[in-house]
Amino acid sequence: MRIRNDIVIVGAGLAGMRAAIAASEVSRDLSIAIVAKTYPIRCHSVCAEGGTAAVMREGDSFDLHAWDTVKGADFLADQDAVEFFVREMPKEILRLDNWGCPWSRTQDGKIAQRPFGGHSFDRTVFAADRTGFHEVHTLYERMLSYPNIVRFDEYFMTNLVIEDGEVKGLTAIELKTGDIVLFEAKVVIIATGGAGRLFGFTTYSHQVTGDGLAVAYRAGVPLKDMEFFQFHPTGLIPSGILMTEACRGEGGYLRNSKGERFMEKYAPAKMELAPRDVVARSMWTEILEGRGLESPYGPYIALDLTHLGEERINERLPLIRDAAIKFAGVDPVEEPIPVRPVAHYTMGGIHTNMYCETPVRGLYAAGEAACVSIHGANRLGSNSTAECLVFGRVAGERAAEYALKKSYYPSTDFLKEEEKRINSLFREGEESAYEIKAELNRTMDENLWIFRNEDGMAEAVKKIIELKERYKNVSVADTSKKFNTDLTFALEVGFMLDLAEVVAIGALKRRESRGAHYRTDYPKRDDERWLKHTLAYYSKDGPIFEYLPVTITKWQPVERTY
Amino acid sequence: MDVIFRVRRFDGEKSYWSDFVIPAKKGMTVLEGLYYIKENYDGSLAFRASCRMGICGSCAVKINGKPVLACETQILHLNSTTIKIEPLDNFEVIKDLVTEFDGFFTKHEAVKPYLIRKEDRYSEPEELIQKPEQLYAYYKYSLCIKCGACYSVCPASSSRDDYLGPAAMTAAYRFIADSRDEGDGERMQIVCGDCGVWRCHFAAECSEVCPKKVEPAKAVQKLRFRSAIYMLEKFFIRW
Amino acid sequence: MRWLKWFEFRGKSLFHISYSLHRLTGIVLVIYLVMHLSYLTSIRIGREVYEYFTSTTLTPAFLIFDILLVLAGVYHGVNGLRLILHEFGLGYELRRPLLYLCYLLTLVLWLYASYQMYLFVMGV
Repeated sequence: MRIRNDIVIVGAGLAGMRAAIAASEVSRDLSIAIVAKTYPIRCHSVCAEGGTAAVMREGDSFDLHAWDTVKGADFLADQDAVEFFVREMPKEILRLDNWGCPWSRTQDGKIAQRPFGGHSFDRTVFAADRTGFHEVHTLYERMLSYPNIVRFDEYFMTNLVIEDGEVKGLTAIELKTGDIVLFEAKVVIIATGGAGRLFGFTTYSHQVTGDGLAVAYRAGVPLKDMEFFQFHPTGLIPSGILMTEACRGEGGYLRNSKGERFMEKYAPAKMELAPRDVVARSMWTEILEGRGLESPYGPYIALDLTHLGEERINERLPLIRDAAIKFAGVDPVEEPIPVRPVAHYTMGGIHTNMYCETPVRGLYAAGEAACVSIHGANRLGSNSTAECLVFGRVAGERAAEYALKKSYYPSTDFLKEEEKRINSLFREGEESAYEIKAELNRTMDENLWIFRNEDGMAEAVKKIIELKERYKNVSVADTSKKFNTDLTFALEVGFMLDLAEVVAIGALKRRESRGAHYRTDYPKRDDERWLKHTLAYYSKDGPIFEYLPVTITKWQPVERTY
Repeated sequence: MDVIFRVRRFDGEKSYWSDFVIPAKKGMTVLEGLYYIKENYDGSLAFRASCRMGICGSCAVKINGKPVLACETQILHLNSTTIKIEPLDNFEVIKDLVTEFDGFFTKHEAVKPYLIRKEDRYSEPEELIQKPEQLYAYYKYSLCIKCGACYSVCPASSSRDDYLGPAAMTAAYRFIADSRDEGDGERMQIVCGDCGVWRCHFAAECSEVCPKKVEPAKAVQKLRFRSAIYMLEKFFIRW
Repeated sequence: MRWLKWFEFRGKSLFHISYSLHRLTGIVLVIYLVMHLSYLTSIRIGREVYEYFTSTTLTPAFLIFDILLVLAGVYHGVNGLRLILHEFGLGYELRRPLLYLCYLLTLVLWLYASYQMYLFVMGV
């Protein structure tokens, strides 16, 4: 089947839906399709908890927000993009307000803000501790009011069609029927989120497998800065469910087995509200040095909220309390929550400029899937939902303008080829995709975790290449057409292996420590040799790397202390 | 402890039960059990799941006869050695535990679940003032994750296809009660209409099963009161 | 036969059971109403026919049906009042106590009515 639209957006999370709305605002004559493997409100953006950063009040300034972001990013962020981003952000908050987002309020009815890690002003706008959830629902509901946006829910993207340096569309499996569909489009926007499930202990939803990244990468689009992977300090054990940074923003403490607030050793000024890479490393150091608390699921650190009081916890952190009780059997009003650093965010992504354009004509990327880059080597808390909103809009507007200018629909014969490829996957192989994924997760958790070193990473690369080899013989036992999650799982594992390779080799090559990428054998930042972005291009024999200078406008790199 | 998962299967033609033995540990959820089956016994088992923290609404299934979220139900808390897992009622089954949700979302869409304002200021938005007490007037109803649990137990929905259902009614009330909304009339007409609140007969089961404690039945009741007043007003204004 | 779905106890809570019972007693009352009207109409055929019909209903053996009928009527009425209250948006928080009260009231009214009918039929 062929479906023809002006704009096809892949991924129905915050960035994807924001792009759809923005494109529709440019022109109601454009037909906009939003293709996603889940229903829009089942996306991973709903798991965002803490808030969204924006300069809203007297005393704060755009420069301050930009500086916090750049410093948080360990100076790997492109500063022109950051400056643009902070200026656009307040409007997005107000738009969501106008569209019905239930922001938490101050007593006089204005939008409330809370402190967050790495920000030097209380600038995080929030809706209790379900910010992402409310933002997604608000955008989804707003999207329903645009007649020219068509949803294609539960379509699994399998390939991107790029011919002669121009995007022509994409192929997807309609899960409900199992048919392969070709979406022909003037413009494609990729907003599929990160690649979090590479790691075993992670805050990510099961569905976040980096499909968009891998598909674009295989089609020849470079990935940028993939070695930078954020570890969030507080993941609930054993499941890895996110305990938002707002726990600490609202005044929570981190304590080791001696009951000490150990952050005073590592970040005396900011304490628990230092950026995530700093806090996560400090916690891991405490655990490695034997000052973690013991549990059947391994050592942990205590996130202490007991001094906040029941009323404040119920008002500001209801979801955290609910999750801690349901998933760990701990009531944060009475006991500290057991937490451990957990894989949380992909700073890298599809290489784009600050207008969300990729090197391929007609292909745009936004949100976590893109690397603009405003997060550099480490993202500040509450900048990710913000990024989705601002760059979702930019991508949508740019894409709409491009689509209006382009007078013809591209045509391609890719559908038959893709059908053949997918059908060839149904076979009795010797390898199980589930086992390969489990081994991949183990390798990543062991060798590409918070502290990395040459030997570990070299071993990981070897292992990943071996897994890729084994994957060629993978088995898809379920041959039925309808809702074949066995097939989609196998495809996802294939995607993840490619991405893991880029992450591991990229990390191995970067011989310095910057932001979230910390190497015990090169513990210092090296601005002379490594103040540059990594670009990875696909080739049959593994990624080919190039490097790109960082844009610096106002702020020269300085030593980063908190 | 070993627990038997008795899963209701459907392969597009026939439906049957499959039994699997799961080594349950303390803290293990039913969703983890389902993944265990998929990874170790039968890769063809189909179910929906995403966030595994009870906020995305994908994994609502019927466990031992009651609709719950698989991700937040712990196996050992169920206190039974055989756990029966079935797809939600009132939804057409596509495969195994996966059900057709398109109709459910279309019904949600039908109540215009978005803020309607007379003046749409897209390019120059302004901050709207909303006091905390105005926020709390509707906040609870904005927590609906659209998992479909309420719809699956609703006897009014099961015997009539056109009733919009508890989740859609809750969404309507959430916007009607929002102090920023100016679309009362438009939405009230749908709510008072043939497929609206008057189809509900207060079995109140929706409030019993809601995993987020949103209390759809309460929203429907509040809507009925408003809708009664709205209809009276319309009646007298016409005269 | 979609109305059969009224009697599927989905969540198995008391609320759903009382909903199903309300439907069931409603059907019983409709059937009774038809019977009642046809008995009354029989007077147009002749007084004897009418008296024959009514006399069959005044026997001790028929009492058991009458008692069950009164149960249906009382339950439907009392539960109906509870529903009217709720359906206008009142007393939602009290729905559990109100439900128990409804059952209690039904029981008391039913027992009292049954006793009175027993006395009447037995001619005491």
